[in-house]
Amino acid sequence: MTAITAGGGFTATLYRSRWVFLRFAAYLGAMAGIAAMARFGTGAYEENAFLYQILSMKGLIWGGTGALAGCGMAIVASTAKPKLMDAKMARNFVPWLDGFVLMVILAAIWALFEPAADQISYDDQSNLFAGRVIMAMNVIFIFSSVSYIAYLFAPESFIGRIATWSAYAGLYLGGSSLLLRWHESYLFDMEIGHAPVSNLYEVFILLCCVTTAIYLALEKRYQAKAMGAFVLTLVSAAVFFDIWLASVGQADIKPLVPALQSYWMKIHVPMNFVGYGSFAVACGAGMAYLVRFRLEANGGTSKMLKIFPSLDQLDQLAYKAVAIGFPAFTLATILGAAWASEAWGGYWSWDPKETWALIVWMTYGAYLHARVSHGWHGKALAWWAVAGFLVTVFCFLGVNMYLSGLHSYGRLS
Amino acid sequence: MANMPRMQIFPDLLKSLWQRIGSMSLAIILLVVLSIASVIGTVLLQNQAQADYLQQFGPMWYWVFRSLGLFDMYHTWWFMSILGFLMVSLTSCLWRNIPKMLKDMRTRKVPVSDKSLKRFQHLHEWHLPADTDTEQLQDAFHQHLDGWEFKDSEQDGNHYIRADKGRWNKWGYILVHSAILVVLVGGWVGKEFGFRGNMAVPEGASENEIDFLKGTETGHLKMPFDVHCNSFSIDFFPTGAPREFKSNLTIIDHGKAVLTKDIIVNEPLYYKGVRIYQASFGDGGSDITFKLFHLDGTGAVSTAKTQVYQTWTDKKSGVSLTLDDFKPYNVENMAEPGKPKDYQDLGPAVVYEIRGPGLKPAKIKAFMNPFIGPKGDNRGSFLMISLSGDKADYKTVSLGLDLTNPNEWRLFHAFMKYLGEAHKRSKDSTRQAFKEAMSDVFGTDKGKWPKNFQAMAMRTLQAVSILPQLPWPMLPMLADYKQHYYTGLQLAQDPGMNIVWLGSAMLVFGLCIMFYMPHRKLWLVIRPGTKEVHISLAGMGNRNHLVFTKYFHDIFTQLDQDFAGQKT
Ligand code: HEM
Repeated sequence: MTAITAGGGFTATLYRSRWVFLRFAAYLGAMAGIAAMARFGTGAYEENAFLYQILSMKGLIWGGTGALAGCGMAIVASTAKPKLMDAKMARNFVPWLDGFVLMVILAAIWALFEPAADQISYDDQSNLFAGRVIMAMNVIFIFSSVSYIAYLFAPESFIGRIATWSAYAGLYLGGSSLLLRWHESYLFDMEIGHAPVSNLYEVFILLCCVTTAIYLALEKRYQAKAMGAFVLTLVSAAVFFDIWLASVGQADIKPLVPALQSYWMKIHVPMNFVGYGSFAVACGAGMAYLVRFRLEANGGTSKMLKIFPSLDQLDQLAYKAVAIGFPAFTLATILGAAWASEAWGGYWSWDPKETWALIVWMTYGAYLHARVSHGWHGKALAWWAVAGFLVTVFCFLGVNMYLSGLHSYGRLS
Repeated sequence: MANMPRMQIFPDLLKSLWQRIGSMSLAIILLVVLSIASVIGTVLLQNQAQADYLQQFGPMWYWVFRSLGLFDMYHTWWFMSILGFLMVSLTSCLWRNIPKMLKDMRTRKVPVSDKSLKRFQHLHEWHLPADTDTEQLQDAFHQHLDGWEFKDSEQDGNHYIRADKGRWNKWGYILVHSAILVVLVGGWVGKEFGFRGNMAVPEGASENEIDFLKGTETGHLKMPFDVHCNSFSIDFFPTGAPREFKSNLTIIDHGKAVLTKDIIVNEPLYYKGVRIYQASFGDGGSDITFKLFHLDGTGAVSTAKTQVYQTWTDKKSGVSLTLDDFKPYNVENMAEPGKPKDYQDLGPAVVYEIRGPGLKPAKIKAFMNPFIGPKGDNRGSFLMISLSGDKADYKTVSLGLDLTNPNEWRLFHAFMKYLGEAHKRSKDSTRQAFKEAMSDVFGTDKGKWPKNFQAMAMRTLQAVSILPQLPWPMLPMLADYKQHYYTGLQLAQDPGMNIVWLGSAMLVFGLCIMFYMPHRKLWLVIRPGTKEVHISLAGMGNRNHLVFTKYFHDIFTQLDQDFAGQKT
């Protein structure tokens, strides 16, 4: 998932199978190296300083060794079996990882604009640079959704390109702002520092980015641009909610309560949002389906119909999004259970958040079954995709706002 | 049916019931019913005190909800029954499908009839000259489908090649659905043979019994070992928020200390299959020293030493103090109602109930330090008093005097004495009384009086209107403390947990197979004729049709290009 789609000389080389394969091996190796450092390195995993453990010389050595080892193994493996270089897995994953590396680079650049150390205070966080990057992201996402909607009414390829490019821009701004925020949390005090997935404000930025990223991946593969109007509108809604959160003072970096100080948080929460984001995209596809259905019922003369994917394609796109989200959400729930068993003494306590996660899971489980069994198709399933997302929204927002329980991180005060 | 012997109807009925139970429509219905039932339990707070429910819903609804078990919903017979029903349904569906699927995966039927060929999702046909080398065509087919499995056969002079990819996809289905069974079984094993409960261990003490909720009652269970709490501590962030709760525990097994370890919130201790978690904390019987300011006008001050959770009784007056709690930090909202919140730490405080002959019982929170205003001005000692015993009814009572300063107490009594002598209270007589009281306490030399004696005068005046009103013969104030915590531990043993993890792994693994390794089938059918060869390419995928459509189209174009020259 990267902005580089044009077929220029350099980028074409970058995306030759052999380089993609090598890069994939290097990324995997680096991740394994970092994981090994957290597990076996001297000083091992340090909850309060993990970011800097990765960024330190030690992290560089472990990660770099892993990457080199990965490359080495890849070369050996591909000489033995050259067909490996065409592996679909590598081609599917490398653009995402490239995109992540680009976000890290962007965050490193933003970090240069951070105010001087004596200007940084916990009580007034308004001068931190991430806030500005987030503001830019907000504006660009809203701009993108407007462009996508304009594209529906004026299907010029130029407008469509602007919409897509601005969605990419918003995604990179959002992703890098979160990384920057992670760094900023350490600027107050090493002990306060933590991954930026600890409150509603942060996870909403994450949600915007994940949703956009999954949508863009689908757009690139299936030319489903008309769907963007619906997905990016959902993203804009999240952006407005985030702006409101910031206006009521919920945007500040705060120290973590003891229950959240665990590496589980860094795995569990993002994985959950992969699920939520996919369900949002499925909801967008469902809405597009319903709109197209309406247009067709009205005689099918609308100009819009030309750029809309067919009903069958939209149905498949919704399914595709759920097919990404369902396993991710299942895994996230299991990770949550593993964390609960480590922190609270039981993997399942029927806490409202857990229970709602189960409800969401069962809703989409039922959706998948309804697809397979005869009788359910098309419109009813599109409604199901939309309704399923409403259940999902209640799970990650409503539960925090209306029900009490152990997941108090998102509580609005 | 009517002619059938009676005995056979029954097995037939059972068979059709068994099939119906394993149907997908029932699966959907069960999932939806479970979801809706689960919502109830999240809206209605579970496992609260019965009195709270009664107050919240009124007697009628309370009894309705209670008899439906809605206050501990997830353990009621009916909720369990739905889960049991789901298990039966899953078993039935697995039972019927697994043999079929295993057989399908193993034997791949190659020839297809013309009729079924027409029903394929994807079908393309060519006509090539009769002298086309079909070997070459087959080679091309093999070449374009790298990583596929091939199987071919001849029938009626036609040549069929079948190619499969993701042939094991149905294992995904089998894994996912049995995983749900495994997880539910694991949950049941944990519930049946495991336990989970709480234990409070004061610092320096041991405990070996846990408490847990059993429906609406509390159950107890003895552990096979003792837990000794050596110490408990709280660490704070620079912002004042708690950073870490830590207990240092020693496990004592048959009188021998076998293991000593620190536990914090995300790092439990594991001993003999039991996990010990840091769950909460509270006061574990802190040592408290009271200063008792006698309100009989003598100005006498005495001390009393006791502990939290103890009752101290004054033999002479019969007044008793029952200590409920002690906290070294008391962060309270000091803003006026309606104003923005203003949190402030008021310092150590002890909570006690005061009782005595002829006295109305009251709950008192007595602070050790005087209240310091926003400008650093000392506003004297204070209490919070609740006559109902309820926290919500606490009223703050300013005593006027700073009772940590013995001189103020003496000053107050001297002042009362002179004030009593001056019959008519006028401004002048009051000032005169205060002056004389000051001379009594600090000497006649004004230069040696404390600098802030004006503020002291204000406080003393305030005390005059408050202290004589208090109903108690003495005023117990917190003078000193030595804090002891108790650590709140949760102990759990769950023999079903590993079964649940196994099921979870199967679930995730199975889902990945099911969604990302779809089963795709392609057939190349070569029918030689006299004038031309009739070729059909047919395809079928069980998932992700968008991608497969494109893939099928690509294969078709490639083959078509390879043989374009030979087209008739
Ligand atoms: C209650 C009894 C259940 C029955 C009888 C049942 C039956 C089935 C059947 C026959 C299929 C189609 C398999 C195929 O197309 O290859 C299926 C698919 C599936 N089942 Fe179940 N199932 C049940 C429960 C569940 C539950 C509780 C879940 C978890 C949510 C679940 C998750 C799935 C999924 C994810 C699929 C794949 C759907 C797709 O790929 O489109 N099933 N199930």
